[in-house]
Amino acid sequence: MDKRPELDDAGLDALFAAARRDAPGPSDDLMARILADAQAVTDAAEAPVLRPAPRASVWQGILDAIGGWPAAAGLMTATVAGLAVGLGATETLEPLTGLLTGYEIEDFMPAYAGLLSEG
Amino acid sequence: MPLPYDDALSDVPDEALLVAFGNGDMAAARALTARLTPRVLGYAARMLGGDRAEAEDVTQEAMLRLWKVAAEWRQGEAKVTTWVFRVVTNLCTDRLRRRRSVDIDAVPEPEDDAPSAEAGLQDAARTSALQGALAELPDRQRQAVVLRHIEGLSNPEIAAIMDIGVEAVESLTARGKRALAAALGGRRTELGYQDG
Repeated sequence: MDKRPELDDAGLDALFAAARRDAPGPSDDLMARILADAQAVTDAAEAPVLRPAPRASVWQGILDAIGGWPAAAGLMTATVAGLAVGLGATETLEPLTGLLTGYEIEDFMPAYAGLLSEG
Repeated sequence: MPLPYDDALSDVPDEALLVAFGNGDMAAARALTARLTPRVLGYAARMLGGDRAEAEDVTQEAMLRLWKVAAEWRQGEAKVTTWVFRVVTNLCTDRLRRRRSVDIDAVPEPEDDAPSAEAGLQDAARTSALQGALAELPDRQRQAVVLRHIEGLSNPEIAAIMDIGVEAVESLTARGKRALAAALGGRRTELGYQDG
């Protein structure tokens, strides 16, 4: 059997140690590029994103036209609620009732109370 | 070269830094960059046969992917180093495959960093010899040997990086070391080892 010379474990370990010592560090330029990428990712995350219209877009359009539903007047709320019932968007009436201190939606539209409970 | 703004965050774990960066903290990004880049670059360079330019590309790409995942990082699921080393491993494997499909003799010359001191020359010569022998190993053996014996990672961590079992890691490192020992054995005197 031909016994060829081999490096033993100690010899290999010395090579590995030399490789660790001899490792060239990253250039300043590489570090700067990596940090620039980080900055770009952060900037992109903070930029306002143009989102597509939400599902209830017709409803949102109406709310926007009125000026948003956190309105001062209960009348406005009732009008909006009336529109909601008319459009069949009964689930959106839940938050509106919160604005009416002490009033339930049935107080304004008693005829529709039954519809609301059916959801 | 240590970066001055890294010192204050040196005790903060990698994961905390990454999550902080995900929330827009650039100081955390600087600390992570200082901490990870040397290791990533070293590993990539050894996997790619010493090609410094390609290693830098891979390093920048791996760090970019890390920045992009930061905002969604779930703590406690994986180590940051494991994740990064896995990305680098895959990027290097892709590049090596592309090289082989283009040019069979695709192992580039290792870069000559030419340190001037005697000890430095000895290290450089040994490193160059090691690099040449590493380049001849199958990819998986090279990965296992580099991660274990140069990066100093544990077998379980290497297993996570390479997506294999711990026994498979041990087998790969053992075979890789035997192949290196045989490849480098004939150069013992040249590498500065005394015989006997």
